[in-house]
Amino acid sequence: MTPPTAAAPEAVRQPLIPPSSHRYADVIHRLEAGGSMLPDTPENLMQIIGIYKAYAVPMDFYWRDLLYIAEQVFLDPLPAFKYFISQEYLDLPNSYAGDQSKLRIWRGGEKAHPELLEFMARGETGRMPKLLHHLWHDRINMEFAEACMQAMLWHQGMGGRFYDYLETDTYRANADRAIKAYFRVNPLMLGLYRLFPEMFMEQVKKLSYTANLGLFWEVMAPVFFEMSDIYDEGGFKGVPDAMNFLVNGIFAVAGRPIYHHVYIRGECFEIIPKSEGFTWLYEAALPYVEAVFYRTAPFRGTKSYNAQACQVPADQADFHYGILYADVFPVGSAGIPPTLLMQDMLHFLPPYLEDLYRQHKRGDADKLIQLGITFQRSMYNVTSAVIQALRCALLYPLDDTDPEHLMANRRFFEAQMDRFLRPEARLPQIQTQDYR
Amino acid sequence: MGPTPLLLLLALPLAGTLLLPLMPAEVPPARLRSIAAVPGGLQLLVALLCWRHPPADLQLPWLPRLGLSLDLGLDGLSLPLVLLSALLTTLAVLSAPADQGRPRLFFALMLATNLGVVASFLAANALLFLLAFELVLIPLTLLVAIWGGERRAGAGVRYLLYGSVSGLALLAAVLAFAWLNPAGPAFGFDALRAAQIPPAAQRWILALLLLAFGLKLPVVPLHGWQPFTYGQAPTPVVMLLAGVVAKLGAYGLLRFGVGFLPDAWAAWSPWLAAAGAVSAVYGALNALAQSDIRRLMAFSSLGHMGLLVLALAAATPLSLQGAIAQMLAHGLISALLFACVGLIERKTGTTAIRKLSGLMNPLRGLPFTMGMLLLALMAAAGIPGLAGFPAELMVFEGSWTSFPRATLVSLLASGVTAVYAIRLFNRVGFGRLDNDRADWAHTRWSERVPALALTLLVIGAGLWPTALTGWSETESAGLALRAQPFLNDPATIQIASATTLSASEPLPS
Repeated sequence: MTPPTAAAPEAVRQPLIPPSSHRYADVIHRLEAGGSMLPDTPENLMQIIGIYKAYAVPMDFYWRDLLYIAEQVFLDPLPAFKYFISQEYLDLPNSYAGDQSKLRIWRGGEKAHPELLEFMARGETGRMPKLLHHLWHDRINMEFAEACMQAMLWHQGMGGRFYDYLETDTYRANADRAIKAYFRVNPLMLGLYRLFPEMFMEQVKKLSYTANLGLFWEVMAPVFFEMSDIYDEGGFKGVPDAMNFLVNGIFAVAGRPIYHHVYIRGECFEIIPKSEGFTWLYEAALPYVEAVFYRTAPFRGTKSYNAQACQVPADQADFHYGILYADVFPVGSAGIPPTLLMQDMLHFLPPYLEDLYRQHKRGDADKLIQLGITFQRSMYNVTSAVIQALRCALLYPLDDTDPEHLMANRRFFEAQMDRFLRPEARLPQIQTQDYR
Repeated sequence: MGPTPLLLLLALPLAGTLLLPLMPAEVPPARLRSIAAVPGGLQLLVALLCWRHPPADLQLPWLPRLGLSLDLGLDGLSLPLVLLSALLTTLAVLSAPADQGRPRLFFALMLATNLGVVASFLAANALLFLLAFELVLIPLTLLVAIWGGERRAGAGVRYLLYGSVSGLALLAAVLAFAWLNPAGPAFGFDALRAAQIPPAAQRWILALLLLAFGLKLPVVPLHGWQPFTYGQAPTPVVMLLAGVVAKLGAYGLLRFGVGFLPDAWAAWSPWLAAAGAVSAVYGALNALAQSDIRRLMAFSSLGHMGLLVLALAAATPLSLQGAIAQMLAHGLISALLFACVGLIERKTGTTAIRKLSGLMNPLRGLPFTMGMLLLALMAAAGIPGLAGFPAELMVFEGSWTSFPRATLVSLLASGVTAVYAIRLFNRVGFGRLDNDRADWAHTRWSERVPALALTLLVIGAGLWPTALTGWSETESAGLALRAQPFLNDPATIQIASATTLSASEPLPS
């Protein structure tokens, strides 16, 4: 009798290249098979989709308020009410949602998300004047969004032509026109502008990055809403499906123009006109991922960083304080100010994620940390999508039969994984479900 | 009121000790813990009743041929310590884990310890005191040796050895009291107080008493057992050890040394004050160097016992009142410290300072426990508004007139408490808490109750210091009068009166 193992010999496809000897060889092989850095488990899928939804609702506010600040508040010397978004911007139609959109990503409406509007009205504390909600931090924390913008501004040279353009005469001339128009009836500020022109120019650059990030997130919010809806309908079968949705989305909107317009007394000033040809993928998405996911800056907490003792790298490219490296404990932790974002997401968790958190660790008491770690997992998935998109754009298909091409892909993946060799990286932790 | 409450104070823990081992095996440990807390709780109520309605002394012959009788009494020295014992026994029992191993024996031995301690405080007969004093040693040794840490056997043996020497020394002292009494052998406290023992004999007896009670307190250089035992004993046991049993040594010095041997005490008091100051400095400096929270607390306790010895050595009315206040305050504070440390150890599995950090983290740390620990550390450092402040203030103020240099040294040593307290809290409470280690459950309210009750008492005693000092004004003044020979000298009294009179008269123009 023939043993069962030999009964039905299948044509096993031999790998065209030898296995990787990298420390993260398993992850690299998964990426080469079209997977994500995040293991494909039902719980991981549930966690990342749930948190995308919880992230998308505050993000729907972030992008609207960022554009409001960049286009309307502009150089207001006392911008105390810059987070008090106008109704016009709250109703601003999203370019990728609603019936009016040319490329409809989310099947929902184009105005602010209903859950966002409900939260803005009541907050955690109940109905009271907007100013009290603001002072009590019972609101969407725009400080997080601004910290991300500042990270993009500060790290600068991360690919794309955006920052270089901010140094050109054209940009300076456009900014100069806008500054003079804005302070036309304010001789004091005009006088200050004459004395310290670079200070004003720096502020306008910051506002250009504010517009950049606002336009970036205008795309991401409907992407995440749509992913949540698809998951609720049972659409995604695994983590790679979710990642591929992101990859496809990246390519679909890659050419979306990035610009900076300012509206002063009804007149539009094009500080960065659309005609410059800046695109979403190269001038917004890639710099954002690099600045926010990888680098950012060591934030002040109960743990201090001593730059003189070389605890902060001298080279900005070596910064490793982003969410992919962050210790998400909200006190004294590294990375983007996680406390504020986690607080924002806490208000919009889907019920299945609330149930999951209740079953682990301290349940409701440490939900903030559990959702922070979920967010970290989800951002590893987004980063995987960006890595796959870059591989797709710059290198070869995964099913290529040329070993040379596959080796080129391998080198690319290994180079990406090298960034997670430092001990702070959380890539090893997210490989298991125990990390919560 | 009749003497029945005195018998009740002993009968309650005795009944608990005898009945708990007979409980059915199916009773869960948590239920047994609740049952075991009942005798202590009732004892506390009876003691409070005795405070409102002082009971009559009890005298029952036991072994008349040996001079042993069941002489029990309560006065301003013993009542607050009985209250403290009852309270801390109850809270120590409640601070045991819900899944306490071998609970019947454990809680029975805890109550047996309480029986020995309370009997010591109630005893009005030296032989009875000796028996009760010795009784404490057996259950505590078993508690440490059976339920202690990794090196529990060594800790138990060391405690037993030191305790045995202490007991032998006390036995020798008690026998010497009887044999060297010119009026004939007697063990009753009244007889000992009235005994005209020659000065040379007094010094021999005092030397034995200092050995016996100095080991119990402990005080440098008799402290060899303390850090090791405190480090290995389970949390409820160390709460009793530091909070109550150590006070037995101070009580013995006060009752026997200051009370019965005033001449020898006065003669040796400069050396005792020096020993107190050395203990305070030694304890504080060692606490600074520790890398384990339990050992740090042990040395901190040693330092604070040094202050107690200083106050006893000075033996002024204020310092003795301060000594009693310090006994009570230190009992509450040290029990609170160890209760908090016990919670930290139960959750994190360690008391090693280098392994702990970020416990103040509001979400994954132990913020409530750390808050109570911070308060206890502040109280130990003598921060105003907490129990440690009035006690230490009275100790220093009362001792200054007699031993200014020793007081100054002790004051500086006391200041070091704040240093190691801040150092400990900074390392354990702040800093980074990462996911690799921070995987423990939060403390439940049932676990917090003992420490919370102690916290409220520490705050209450700080805001209302009479709770610490109001028990013993009469007794401490009487003891001070006996221990300060110059106060009994008519000439001194005349000079003092004349000084007072002249001060009240108008100055000559």
